[in-house]
Amino acid sequence: MGIQFRKVSHEYSFGQKGFFQAINNITLSIEEKNEFICLVGHTGSGKSTLAQHMNALAFPTSGEVEIFGSIVSSKRNKKIHYNDLRKHVGLVFQFPEYQLFEETVEKDIMFGPMNFKVSLEDAKTEALKAIKQVGLNETYLKRNPFNLSGGEKKRVSIAGILAMNPDILVLDEPTSGLDPQGKRQLMDLFKQIQEDTLKTIVIITHDMDLVYEYANRVIVLNDGDLVYDGNEEDLFHKEELASWSLNVPSTIRVLQRLKTQFNLDINPFQKTVEQASLELKRGMNR
Amino acid sequence: MKNIVIGQYVPGEGFFYKLDPRTKIISIVFLMVSLFLLESITYLLIAFGLSILLLIAGKLSILRILKGLKPIFILLIFTFIFQIMFNKEGTLLVNQVMRFSVTSIIGIFVITVIWRFLAKYKRFNTILFFLYLAGLYFLLARFNYGAVLTTFPLMIYQKGLEMSVFVVIRLIIIITLSTVLTITTKPTDLTQGLEKLMRPLKIIGIKSEDFALIISISLRYIPTILDEANKIMLAQASRGSDFTEGKLKDKVKQVISLLVPMFIIAFKRSEDLADAMESRNFIPGKPRTRIFDLKFSYIDLFTTGFTLLCFATSIYLKVI
Repeated sequence: MGIQFRKVSHEYSFGQKGFFQAINNITLSIEEKNEFICLVGHTGSGKSTLAQHMNALAFPTSGEVEIFGSIVSSKRNKKIHYNDLRKHVGLVFQFPEYQLFEETVEKDIMFGPMNFKVSLEDAKTEALKAIKQVGLNETYLKRNPFNLSGGEKKRVSIAGILAMNPDILVLDEPTSGLDPQGKRQLMDLFKQIQEDTLKTIVIITHDMDLVYEYANRVIVLNDGDLVYDGNEEDLFHKEELASWSLNVPSTIRVLQRLKTQFNLDINPFQKTVEQASLELKRGMNR
Repeated sequence: MKNIVIGQYVPGEGFFYKLDPRTKIISIVFLMVSLFLLESITYLLIAFGLSILLLIAGKLSILRILKGLKPIFILLIFTFIFQIMFNKEGTLLVNQVMRFSVTSIIGIFVITVIWRFLAKYKRFNTILFFLYLAGLYFLLARFNYGAVLTTFPLMIYQKGLEMSVFVVIRLIIIITLSTVLTITTKPTDLTQGLEKLMRPLKIIGIKSEDFALIISISLRYIPTILDEANKIMLAQASRGSDFTEGKLKDKVKQVISLLVPMFIIAFKRSEDLADAMESRNFIPGKPRTRIFDLKFSYIDLFTTGFTLLCFATSIYLKVI
C-alpha cells in the first residue's frame, strides 16, 4: 500500500506554444507508515507538482501512480472515486488563504471530515482534537479565521487536513513565511504527530537545517528529475549538492570551517546546535 | 486554464498591426455606420468583397476570422430563418404545405437523436447541422404517411430571401471588421486608444484616464485570478470537495468554498496593489507619461482617407 510512482511524467502545455516538463520519469515508493520525508529542490523543480500527484489532484501525462491500491493514470477512470483517495492522503497547500472560507475556525476544520460523511458530533470532536494537535487552544474554535495572524492561519489550515485523519500527510512548504521559532514549533509538531500516530509525513521545504534535523528520508528533485532518494546523512556528503542548488546545513558549514581553520579533529556532521557544541567541546579537549 | 487568451489578440505582422489603435477604432465605427447606410444587396456584396480584400491586404488568415464567427453562428441561422419566414413581400418563390403526422414526428425524433449522437465529431458540426435542417424539411414536406395532425404552409417570397441574405451578409461584415480590430490590437493598446479618444469627454466630467486604468488593471489580473481559482479548487478538492464529483446539494457548498477565498484574496490584492502604486508615486488624476506613446503615421492617414471615401460613397448612394 502507500503511494507508488511508476515512471510518472507530467507536462504543462501552453496552447500551441509548446509545453513545460514539470516532472520527468519518476519512480519512487512512499510507505504507508512511519516515514518522515522531506522533498527538496530549487524553485520550479517540480516539487509541488509531485506532491499534487500524491492525492490525485494532478494526473500524470504518462506513467501511473498507485495510491492505496487505486491506479491513477492519464485518463480519468469513472470507477475510481478520486475523492476517497484524498481521505487517505491529505495535502496542505502553501497558502492557508486558499482554503479558509467559513465563519468560524471550527466550521472550517469540520469542512473536510463532513465531506467524507463524518457525523456532526464526530466532526466536532475531530476539530477539537485537531486544533489541540496544532498547538492552539479551544478558544480559537469560535474565532473568525480571517482575523488570525499568518502563523495561526497556517496552523488552522493544517488542522483542517489533520481532522480528516489521513494516513499520509503531505505539506507544501508549511514553514514558509514563518519566523525561525514558528518554523521549529511547527516541525516539532509534525515530528510529534508522526511519533504519536506513526503516520507518514511528506514535507516540501527549502530549509536544509530543518531537513537535516528532522527528516529520515530525503527526496531531491532537480529540473523535474529525481536525483536523490535516501537518508539525510548521505545527502550532505554528496558533492553534487551545489549543482542541485541545495546548500549545506549551517551546523555542518560552521563546524567544517572551524575544522579547517583551527585544524580540529571533529566530525562536522552534527544535526543540532547542542550536538555541534558538544562535538566542538570534545574536539578542543582532545 | 493556464493558456487563456484575453480578448482575441494574436501576435503577428502586417498592415493592421502597424496602425494606430485610434485610427482603427474610429475607422471601424465609420465603416460600420456606412454599412448601415447601404440599401441594395449589390452594394453590400461590393462591401463584402472589399472587406475580403482588406483581409488579404492585411495578411490575415480568413480561417481565423471564420473562427471568430463561430459564437454567433446560431444567431446568423436564426436571423436567416426569421427573415425568410416572416417577410412576405415580392413574388412567391416556394409554396409548400408542411404536414405534422405521427410518422413524421417519429422521423424528426429519430434524426434529432442521430444528430445529437454525431455531435461529438466537432469538425463536421456545420455540415451535420445543414443535413439536419434538410432532413427536417424532407420529413415535413414529403414524408406524410399516417394521420395528419396539423399543417402549416411554408411560403418563401423573393423579398424575404433577399432580406435574409442581406442581413446575414451585413452581420458577417460587422463581425469581420470587429474581429480584425480585436485580433490585431493588444488589449493595452486598445485601452490606450480609447483613453485618448475619450479625452474630450473631460468637459462633461468623465475622466478617461481612470476609465483606462480600470480596464487595464482588470485585464492584467484576469489570468492571475483564474490561476488562483484553480489553486483554490485544488486546495478544496484536497479536503474532499472535488468539483467534478458530488451531488447538487454539495455543489452549493463547493461554490461557496471557492468564492469566499477568491473574494478575500482579491480584496487583499487590490489593497496591496494600491499601496504598491502609491509607493511608486502614482497620484490619481495627475497626468502620466507612457513608455510607448501612440504615433500617427502616413499609413494612418491612408486608412483614414480610405474610411472617409467609403463613408462619403455610402452617403452619396443613400441620398441619390
